[in-house]
Amino acid sequence: MSTDFNIVSEIHNDTLVMKTDGYINNTGGEQIVLEFSKHVSNINKVVLDLAKSKVVNSIGISYLLEMVETLNQNDGKLYFTNLDPTIEKTFKIMGLFQFAEKVDSIDSVLK
Amino acid sequence: MKQNQLVEKLSLQAESFQEGFETLIKCGNFEEITKNFWHILRGSFLVTNIILIHKSSLDSEWKLAKSEVEIKKSDLAFLSKKDQLTIKYYEKKKFEVSVVLPLSDSSYLGILLGHKLDNSGFSVFDKITLQILLQVFSSAYDSFLNQRKEKKLVFDLNEKILQLNNLIDTGIELSRLEKQNVLFELALERIASITNASSALIIIKDKENKKVTDQITFPGKISTNKILRSKLKIESSFEFNKKLYQFVLSEKEARKGTTSFSDLDEMLLQAIARQVQASIENEFLLKQSIEKERIQKEMSLAASIQQKIIPEKLPQIVGYELAGINIPSRDVGGDYYDSIDLGEGKYALIMADVSGKGISAALLVSTLNAALYSYLEFNLPTTDLAEKLNKLIYKSSPPDKYITFFAAILDSNSGELDIVNAGHNPGLLLRKDATLENIEAGGTGLGMLDFGFPYTGQRLTLNQGDKLFLYTDGIPEAMNITEEEYSDERMIEFLRNNSDLVPEEFISSIVNDIKKHVGEAEQSDDITCLFLKRN
Repeated sequence: MSTDFNIVSEIHNDTLVMKTDGYINNTGGEQIVLEFSKHVSNINKVVLDLAKSKVVNSIGISYLLEMVETLNQNDGKLYFTNLDPTIEKTFKIMGLFQFAEKVDSIDSVLK
Repeated sequence: MKQNQLVEKLSLQAESFQEGFETLIKCGNFEEITKNFWHILRGSFLVTNIILIHKSSLDSEWKLAKSEVEIKKSDLAFLSKKDQLTIKYYEKKKFEVSVVLPLSDSSYLGILLGHKLDNSGFSVFDKITLQILLQVFSSAYDSFLNQRKEKKLVFDLNEKILQLNNLIDTGIELSRLEKQNVLFELALERIASITNASSALIIIKDKENKKVTDQITFPGKISTNKILRSKLKIESSFEFNKKLYQFVLSEKEARKGTTSFSDLDEMLLQAIARQVQASIENEFLLKQSIEKERIQKEMSLAASIQQKIIPEKLPQIVGYELAGINIPSRDVGGDYYDSIDLGEGKYALIMADVSGKGISAALLVSTLNAALYSYLEFNLPTTDLAEKLNKLIYKSSPPDKYITFFAAILDSNSGELDIVNAGHNPGLLLRKDATLENIEAGGTGLGMLDFGFPYTGQRLTLNQGDKLFLYTDGIPEAMNITEEEYSDERMIEFLRNNSDLVPEEFISSIVNDIKKHVGEAEQSDDITCLFLKRN
């Protein structure tokens, strides 16, 4: 498995901001959910900044859906920002935007 | 408790069973279901402890699902090993109840209930309640499995739509890319994404020596060897323009580790590889088309230059008949002929052929033409003329360019010819008595060397009935479809047999004879000749 994936996270009040770098596949998706689960009890909003992630596969998406479901159960929400057009289309087809939202910037969620 | 009291009590509990069921079916995962079921059990039976355990099949190990006390190995002995619903009640044991509940996915839920807090033991009502709650759990679990199955079906369907969509989008995007590296990177990103491959690789090899000329990986930092060494990989390749393009995908991802690539994955890889091939081929054909257009423009320009230099009409020479022709080939050669009135009954007869074809040849003909008109004004002997032209062409042309040149100055009054042949095909002088003389005296082609060697001239007299035939190598070397040349022999034979024709007719006839020989083959060189006859 490729481990060419990095994640940087920050907490702002009830919001977890994660900035990813690399292929959102099994490894990437697992790392995102792992980071999310560390903070899940203290947050109800997650912003994923995908400026440095241009490729995603369906395994990576399954992890994101898992995170969306957990957030929904807790009345929370997932937000995406800096989406590559191809990834945006992928998320749309895979139904992610039924439960998550695309935003222009991290600040628009933090406000 | 009497039966009617029991029914009444259970009726009062019905709403609570319904609420429990609704709570369970709202759960998103197994952990949540067992956690909530644990709370339902606790609310229904006031017991010392409740342990919920689960095993994925009859033979697999029990795993703790929910308990607030530590489970011991010996506790598992309370559980039946049978594959059917088993409820056991105990007296004076660590647990009062043990349950093994088979579930619809062949897994099992194990339940261990401790003693009731009031030590009252499990009543009939409790036993019936337990039965009902087991049914509630089983139904909720079925609902959970159905929801999961439905979600998976929707996910799989969306994934197929995504694959198709990506395939179409990738085809369009690849066809727009010109830089091959960007093309390969995009192809690798897309194929890895739609097949869930962990990594992807393109190796480009020289087809003949098998040497690797380039390799691109996705993700960029992964080593080529790691991909090639993988046991779970698929490949596709194509050849184009003496290069082999090899595509490799390695390690198809699953939520738990890796799995084998499917037939669909192989088809998707082949489809992307074909799209890359089409893009490379299209780019190659586009470049060829642009180059062809450039050459055609150059040829068209060369042809127009040459057209302006070749005389439209030859001068009338009293006592002589003169005709000439130049039929340029498709590639525009550098043939040139002319007849220039020098005054006082003198005429220059010129035949030349520039090495090479195209615009450079046409420009050199143009240079020769301009210089010739300039030098001829000085009434120079042809040998001096050749020397001057040699120096000029040597200086003004690249090393691989030269001109074979034949010049004859005719004094029409005396019939005297002052001739020089600078590396050109020999002029043919056919005497009235059918004697044929080859005129070869001269030197090297113009612009070949500049060592100052003098050109050797030749003086001859054209008598009544004599004919002079000048030509370029496009005539004897004209080839038919089997690459057989028209030849010097056939040309001379034609000259001998048809020299009595009027020059214009003679030229028209020899051109027809050449065309007859060439047949369907393409004209490979200019056909140029000049025929002078003294009446």
